[in-house]
Amino acid sequence: MGGKVSCTLGEVKNRADFILYWGGNPAECHPRHFTKYTIMQKGKFLPEGRKGRTMVLVDIRETMSVKAADIFLQVRPGKDFEVVTALRALVKGNRVDTALVEETGLKLEQLQDLVDRMKRCKFGVIFFGMGLSMTRGKHMNSAAVLTLAAEMNAFTKFVAMPMRGHGNVAGADMVLRWTTGYPFGVNLCRGFPRFNPGEFSTVDLLVRGDIDAAFVLGADPGATMPQPGIDTLARVPTIVLDPKVTHTSKLARVHITTSVTGISSPGTAYRMDEVPLPLRPVLKSPYPSDEEVVRRIIAAVDKKSAWLPKPATMASGVM
Amino acid sequence: MIKLTLKDQPTVPLEAEMLTPDQFSGLNLDAIRALPVFLGKRQLRVDDFFTVDGEPSDELEIHGDLAKVKYIGRAMTRGRIKVCGNVGMHLGAAMKGGSIEVTGNASDWIGGEMTGGLIHVHGNAGGQVGAAYRGSLSGMNNGTILIGGTAGLEVGMRMKRGIIAVKGQVRDFCGLQMKGGTILLMNGAEIRTGAWMIRGTIISLKPIKLLPTFPFACTYSPTFLRLIAKHVAPLGLSLPMDEQTGTYHRYSGDSSVPGKGEILVWQPRV
Repeated sequence: MGGKVSCTLGEVKNRADFILYWGGNPAECHPRHFTKYTIMQKGKFLPEGRKGRTMVLVDIRETMSVKAADIFLQVRPGKDFEVVTALRALVKGNRVDTALVEETGLKLEQLQDLVDRMKRCKFGVIFFGMGLSMTRGKHMNSAAVLTLAAEMNAFTKFVAMPMRGHGNVAGADMVLRWTTGYPFGVNLCRGFPRFNPGEFSTVDLLVRGDIDAAFVLGADPGATMPQPGIDTLARVPTIVLDPKVTHTSKLARVHITTSVTGISSPGTAYRMDEVPLPLRPVLKSPYPSDEEVVRRIIAAVDKKSAWLPKPATMASGVM
Repeated sequence: MIKLTLKDQPTVPLEAEMLTPDQFSGLNLDAIRALPVFLGKRQLRVDDFFTVDGEPSDELEIHGDLAKVKYIGRAMTRGRIKVCGNVGMHLGAAMKGGSIEVTGNASDWIGGEMTGGLIHVHGNAGGQVGAAYRGSLSGMNNGTILIGGTAGLEVGMRMKRGIIAVKGQVRDFCGLQMKGGTILLMNGAEIRTGAWMIRGTIISLKPIKLLPTFPFACTYSPTFLRLIAKHVAPLGLSLPMDEQTGTYHRYSGDSSVPGKGEILVWQPRV
């Protein structure tokens, strides 16, 4: 509940003396993250650079990122929520069950040491990856880490930030946020935005088959969704806008090739800390941009008269 | 009794918050047939989807596979709805009184933020039973929900008052951020039961996996359980209470919040 405690990566570079990576492998998945923003840089208030910072990695297995870490904590798979919840209790000095803590793969002393370090630092930051947000518990795992960071502000400055994936995923969230007030899973059917992840989020709509058309822009659900979702995409009329032929294009009725944003068409991309970056095209493309295609579709739809299903055809299930 | 029969399952979810005894009161059958329902963004009539017969009354019976029909019994205050078949999301959301019975399975969010009345699902239910809507501070604030089968994630999320009883197993995060009320788990739960609970009682008759933030408190046979047992006896539920046959282990938590909630787990004597 409540807001998100965040900052820009510039602040992390200049101030963060405690960096915690949870459920991610930045050495391989965000290769420039260490060197540009977090542990390797010398910052305005961290003249010593790497020596002035503590880096903790929490993951279920040893990855390439372990070498960069001062402390590596290996949790059992699916126990992240338990560990964060225990940390929240320890931060407040409350009792936890030692035996149940040890079931997570970590000892109580290790967690207490982590809490002490978190409280001692001047500026702490938690970066969490898909190992946390896409495993059992999903949004609650992310909520746990965000709440832990918020609660740490009773002792010192602390922020939490998700390690976003490829493409402009942060940008899609940002635009939906300022236009509807919600970041994703928004339904506009009744004329006003309604937010309910689990009901209106893409994967749930597709898996339940609650849609009768799909418009896919800058994503490849055909490669990432569970099989029932892919079956729905193949069943309904699906339109794909993408520079390349994707897995989804093969299921779709229509594929429109567009130019690559940032390479052959201009636009704005949001960095993982939600800082907008303008993109200038370096190449020319024979294809229209996504924006132009969407504008032309809107103009064409506007010319059509309002459509209502006929009750007789409704009853026979043909729509 | 008014009888509605679904003609054909809609292809996309149908939002039918008008299907309540309150909305039907004082209307003849033709007026009921003309009530609006929403298919996607389109407003249509009840009789585009349902055949309506019977005679006007506070009792409503709906037949067919209503798995894609949402918001049945929304904010109802009186009367009775019987759904013969499956039912979709938000059944009895924000209801204040009356009763709903479902013979088949129900979907997510049944009894969300309800403040009174009874919902009885004979089959399985989805997640977020009696829960708070996203961004809302509290979930169900009174009333009773009884699930004959299993239930999904986040049962009773942020509930404040009332009773949820589940005969089958429930999935993760049962009683998440609970603020009060009682959840009866006749067949246990998966993991993270009672996560971040502030107050309230979760009673499990089967051993369950607990979070590390639920330290063991004591073994006892609480007196108040007799009251709850008396309350749920008309629903066909019985709680073991005889000290000769076993006791309850009390775990208090969630110490991360920190909370004054409790999880009672029945321990039969061996």
